[in-house]
Amino acid sequence: MATIDDFEIARRSRMVKALYIYRPMNRLWHWVNAATILVLMITGFFMGRPFPSVEGDTSVLYVMGWLRYIHFVAGWILLVGFVLRVYLALSGNRYARELFLPDVLSREWWKGLFTELAWYMFLIKEPPKYAGHNPLAQFLMFCFFVVGLLVMLLTGFALFSEAVGQGSWADHLFGWVIELFGGNSLAVHAWHRLGMWCLIFIILAHIYTAVREDIMSRQSMVSTMISGWRMFKD
Amino acid sequence: MTRHETQGFTLDDTGRRIVVDPVTRIEGYMRVEVNVDENNVIRNAVSTGTLWRGLEVILKGRDPRDAWAFTQRICGVCTGTHALASVRAVENALGITIPDNANIIRNLMQLCLQVHDHLVHFYHLHALDWVDVVSALDADPRTTSELAQSLSDWPLSSPGYFRDIQNRLKAFVASGQLGLFTNGYWGNPAYRLPADANLMAVAHYLEALDFQKEIVKIHTVFGGKNPHPNWLVGGVPCAINLDGVGAVGAVNMERLNLVKSIIERTIEFVDKVYIPDLTAIAGFYRDWQYGGGISSQCLLAYGDIPVRANDYGPDSLLMPHGAIINGDLSTVHDVDLSDPEQIQEFVSHSWYTYPDETRGLHPWDGLTEPDFQLGPNTKGTRTKIEQIDENAKYSWIKSPRWRGHPMEVGPLARFVIGHVRGNPEFKEPVDRLLRTLDLPLEAIFSTLGRTAARGLEASWAAHKMAWFFDRLISNLKAGDTATANTERWDPATWPDDVKGYGFTEAPRGALGHWIHIRDRKIENYQAVVPTTWNGSPRDPQGQIGPFEAALMNTPLAKADEPLEILRTLHSFDPCLACSSHVLSPDGQEMATVTVR
Amino acid sequence: MNETFYDVLRRQGITRRSFMKFCSLMAASMGLGAGAVPKIAHALETKPRTPVLWIHGLECTCCTESFIRSAHPLAKDVLLSMLSLDYDDTLMAAAGHQAESILDTIREKYKGNYILAVEGNPPLGEEGMYAIQGGRPFVDKLRECAADAKHIIAWGSCASWGCVQAARPNPTQATPVHKVITDRPVIKVPGCPPIAEVMTAVITYMLTFDRAPELDRMGRPKMFYSQRIHDKCYRRPHFDAGQYVEAWDDEGARKGYCLYKMGCKGPTTYNACSTTRWNEGVSFPIQSGHGCLGCSEHDFWDQGSFYNRVANLSQFGVEANADTIGMTIAAGVGAGIAAHAAVSAVVRYRGKTGIDVPEHGE
Repeated sequence: MATIDDFEIARRSRMVKALYIYRPMNRLWHWVNAATILVLMITGFFMGRPFPSVEGDTSVLYVMGWLRYIHFVAGWILLVGFVLRVYLALSGNRYARELFLPDVLSREWWKGLFTELAWYMFLIKEPPKYAGHNPLAQFLMFCFFVVGLLVMLLTGFALFSEAVGQGSWADHLFGWVIELFGGNSLAVHAWHRLGMWCLIFIILAHIYTAVREDIMSRQSMVSTMISGWRMFKD
Repeated sequence: MTRHETQGFTLDDTGRRIVVDPVTRIEGYMRVEVNVDENNVIRNAVSTGTLWRGLEVILKGRDPRDAWAFTQRICGVCTGTHALASVRAVENALGITIPDNANIIRNLMQLCLQVHDHLVHFYHLHALDWVDVVSALDADPRTTSELAQSLSDWPLSSPGYFRDIQNRLKAFVASGQLGLFTNGYWGNPAYRLPADANLMAVAHYLEALDFQKEIVKIHTVFGGKNPHPNWLVGGVPCAINLDGVGAVGAVNMERLNLVKSIIERTIEFVDKVYIPDLTAIAGFYRDWQYGGGISSQCLLAYGDIPVRANDYGPDSLLMPHGAIINGDLSTVHDVDLSDPEQIQEFVSHSWYTYPDETRGLHPWDGLTEPDFQLGPNTKGTRTKIEQIDENAKYSWIKSPRWRGHPMEVGPLARFVIGHVRGNPEFKEPVDRLLRTLDLPLEAIFSTLGRTAARGLEASWAAHKMAWFFDRLISNLKAGDTATANTERWDPATWPDDVKGYGFTEAPRGALGHWIHIRDRKIENYQAVVPTTWNGSPRDPQGQIGPFEAALMNTPLAKADEPLEILRTLHSFDPCLACSSHVLSPDGQEMATVTVR
Repeated sequence: MNETFYDVLRRQGITRRSFMKFCSLMAASMGLGAGAVPKIAHALETKPRTPVLWIHGLECTCCTESFIRSAHPLAKDVLLSMLSLDYDDTLMAAAGHQAESILDTIREKYKGNYILAVEGNPPLGEEGMYAIQGGRPFVDKLRECAADAKHIIAWGSCASWGCVQAARPNPTQATPVHKVITDRPVIKVPGCPPIAEVMTAVITYMLTFDRAPELDRMGRPKMFYSQRIHDKCYRRPHFDAGQYVEAWDDEGARKGYCLYKMGCKGPTTYNACSTTRWNEGVSFPIQSGHGCLGCSEHDFWDQGSFYNRVANLSQFGVEANADTIGMTIAAGVGAGIAAHAAVSAVVRYRGKTGIDVPEHGE
């Protein structure tokens, strides 16, 4: 695009371009993940700070029991989803992979990252367009959803292994995580909870930027994750 | 220094030096060095606290409601007493009052500790200073039985019972593996009990070992475990539910019955075993009048066991309060823990440093920076000390002084102060015992006096438990079941900057905790504990502490067997983990000091 | 000298019948079947009493105090009949060099055949001179005694993890035993103190079966430390139901509801309190209305207030737990987003009136 004349600009501005980016499995994963994380956060929050006491017989009441049960089920869904998503990354298109392997070795990627930062700091007026995630988004997604979820899954299943018991499969697979934190699982609880808060910030930022991009960057964001198509509005 | 006069003692370090390290059958680490003259009489005594843990540094910045748990770990022998002083200090600082039931339960726990600690001390830490275990093998079980039955109507006193004990002991000795009794000072001429009395004492050593675990169940009922039961700022953690839904999950009739039965059995054991044994042993040693030290000069007690909740004034405290100085038994001075002129700690001979070491500091202003250095006359090396230089710094214990005086604390101090104040609960048992032994009042200022006061106090405390138990029941009858006040549980309700102090009479003597709370966190914490008073090294004036004074002028039967030294030191029931404490008030990191 | 445990019992007037009864009680208390009884009996009949050296570092002596509270077996019987406690500063008759010489004798005579029990821990600061015995640092004594021991037991949380003197800022550099004795296993029996019957059971297990108990990943005997207090807590139904003590001495406290909200650490603490209980089974902290402090756990002093449900994260300062950090940052992130959105709106409004710039394309 070395030279673009006024006509070309005008012509393009009248066009709406579209690209098919997110395949159904990716989209399903995104929304199942979103729902699961929401459930995990709500149940997890109240496991640490329980509701006011309820009166009644323990044979029918199971408030904390259900909270924990739902939390564990959601945790399993998250784990299965995470494993499937890794499979999708290996088998799917480049957009399915970019979350897991940001192209940190490429000069362009870094340049894009800083340009994107500049855009968010209002230093440039128009953001570059990307079909999948922009480098900044890729980076944040990788840090928080890939690494973050991995940490949450590891600490979560380590705590779960305590309930399953010493010598169980969960203990063999995840018990070492508790030892990593010095051996007192109270510390693992604390970090697991801090992890939840980190995810909350990122989700807030994620939703905000998605909506904002929808409005300001003239490329579709929210609907893309529903239909799979990214619409470029100019 | 070769000769030095202080407090009526002449210190002379020219004679042969004897080192005892470790001093055993105490809590913690201690070293003692004495110089004896040609007649094996002690002419100079040096006591060194040889460990330091720095608990008060660790407390800084923490939640004041947690402090009891930390300070409780100062000592697991007098378990609970530091926790009590701590919750009182926090409540004093924050203006928290506790319900009457909580006061009663705390008193029951503290009295329970007094009895337990004194009993274990007498039989398991102290008895072997008076009782020759091996000599018991020569006893005739029949005459032992006669002796025991002449002393009390305790049922375990038949000839067959003592024969069984003796057989078990014989088998034990014959096995060649003497366990705890290995290398004891058996056969030392300083042992004066006849074989029969020794056998009786050994039997009771074992009985007391079985029984002591029963006494502490009072802690277990109210605090969940022992050692180290649980306490609570604002009351006690155990709720009372006599006949409501879920009463089995709280203090109920069954729990109260358990407590009551323990109290009854404790009174019986103390009055039928402990006191008769004490009287008998004292009778055989009645002319061994050593170890008085400064007990006839300077004594201190803060008082304890408030009858009325939240009233720590002298009228409310059942255990005596006050200070006696300069041997003036006609005057008991009032003690104020918040007065900066009264209680001060010095470090001129302790392994800490002050900017001006000629002056003492009140606990609220206390300063503790470790400064491990050995004097020029030390023998050995820095990590292999053969002989301490007492003219320089020589102990991990500081030197607390009351208006400049070294003070002895403990059961003897409490009984003398109670006696002087004319309190019949403390006067009559002493007079009665002295009459039985046909000894004058002055005889109480001795090693034996200390040991006797402890036994009498155990009996007093056991009976007081029964009295408080009845008070608890009458409260419950009146419908009062409250055990905690949670109005100021939430730190948001606290003032920004407050100071407080709490005190108690630990089994070993007067215990005070001082706290400074700023922004809902501990800014500063200081504990001055009984063994800091009793085990204090010299001060800038060269005054010696109670341990050192008590060893003075005692003759040793055999210079290479420190039996008499142990006997006198044990009479104080030293607790070294308690005594060697520390505080860094202004938030400095503890620096390791390099010594040239 | 080579007299067996059984010989000694016999000479002490204990009959074969009561000896066998003792063996079956012991088997039962260790969760072993009746088949193990003859094995225990055989072991006790053929072995001399094992010498135990019990040394003390920085501690508060609560472990020794706990040990003598043992009801089955009685401390008396442990000391007279089961082992030979040849050195323990707190209880032994001898003092000074007569005491210290016992260590040399046992190390020489029973080389590789005695048990070393350590209560407390060595401070490594100031060349170890925060704990001086016999004029020397305790850590030297620990190393010497460990060198020839058959087994090493770390009694209590001090020896196992460091405990209170190792809490921040650990001014004396108090160090747990396994970090000083690194060349061999250390059997950790944590707790502040450990339960009396747990202590006597661990040591009698070793004497009976002539082997160390099976240990978990952290070096604790599985027989007492493989489950959480929470797993066997009698108040667990109230936890699951959602019934909690909300304040001290409230209705819930009187009904014996779960102490989770009062900061109980039972859900993260591996110990036998809720089953073996304390002082001959009289009670345990939760039964007496106070939450578990977590005293057998690593660094339990440094997890924030004992009354907080959510532990503090020391990395973020003294009073920071996940929720305080989280809410603070959440407020920050919220404000940031709001501000960013406001600026975006302004920029967008200006952009509409300004000149379009060429796109970068993809």
